[in-house]
Amino acid sequence: MTKSAVPSDTTALRDETMLRHVRQFGSAQDGLSEWRLQRLTAIALIPLSLYFVASVLWLATSDRITAAAWLSSPVTALLVMLFVLAGLAHALVGLRSVFLDYVHTRARLVAADLFIRAAAVLLGGGSLLAILKLFLGH
Amino acid sequence: MERPLSPFMFPVWYRFQITSALSILHRLTGIGLAVGSILLAWWLVSVAAGGELFEGTHGFLVSPIGMVLLFLWSVAFFYHLCNGIRHLAWDAGYGFELRTAARSGYAVLAITALLTVLAWLYVFFA
Repeated sequence: MTKSAVPSDTTALRDETMLRHVRQFGSAQDGLSEWRLQRLTAIALIPLSLYFVASVLWLATSDRITAAAWLSSPVTALLVMLFVLAGLAHALVGLRSVFLDYVHTRARLVAADLFIRAAAVLLGGGSLLAILKLFLGH
Repeated sequence: MERPLSPFMFPVWYRFQITSALSILHRLTGIGLAVGSILLAWWLVSVAAGGELFEGTHGFLVSPIGMVLLFLWSVAFFYHLCNGIRHLAWDAGYGFELRTAARSGYAVLAITALLTVLAWLYVFFA
């Protein structure tokens, strides 16, 4: 391309003067989906976490209702389940981005990633089982 | 290719700025809250199990160590919530000017302190 008179032309996709080919290994491919998951769970966690924290504050000061009775209501069970799942997904993406910044050895990075994934599955599984048990009334 | 590895900017290249300090605090509180998810899951399981497990968990939470941990988690929660909303505003393209970013940072600190105090006043005096 010979003509690139105005600066805005140089950023046009069709312009050959633009850096068209990524250097090194290029993108990690799934960065955008992680970014979106982090924001999506962040937005969901604003009402969910406020609901949970407000409920716990209320439970802590109430003599009339127990945590078990609170969790056996369908609305509570659903919202706390969603809170746990969104929170763990959000924590996984966040912790992974911390590891990507500070863990510089490939093997350690993979090990750390596997560890937090396993922890999230265990914590999420345990939480869901507990909520389901209370909800189903056993 | 040798590139500098994080955290290479501190403390040599960076002087203290409210924006970078709050950014690091966002990560630290996020890590703290992720650790807190262990307690959340444990608490839910103990509520479902009932009996001695619940009594033990409740006893730990109202002990001095438990209360200090709960206080720290409450600060971390309110901070991460407020600063997270600040981050979402940036993602939407608002508040990038340096003065605005600094001001919203101080606002986050003030609202965090206010919400934490209100929450604990409610627990002790409601």
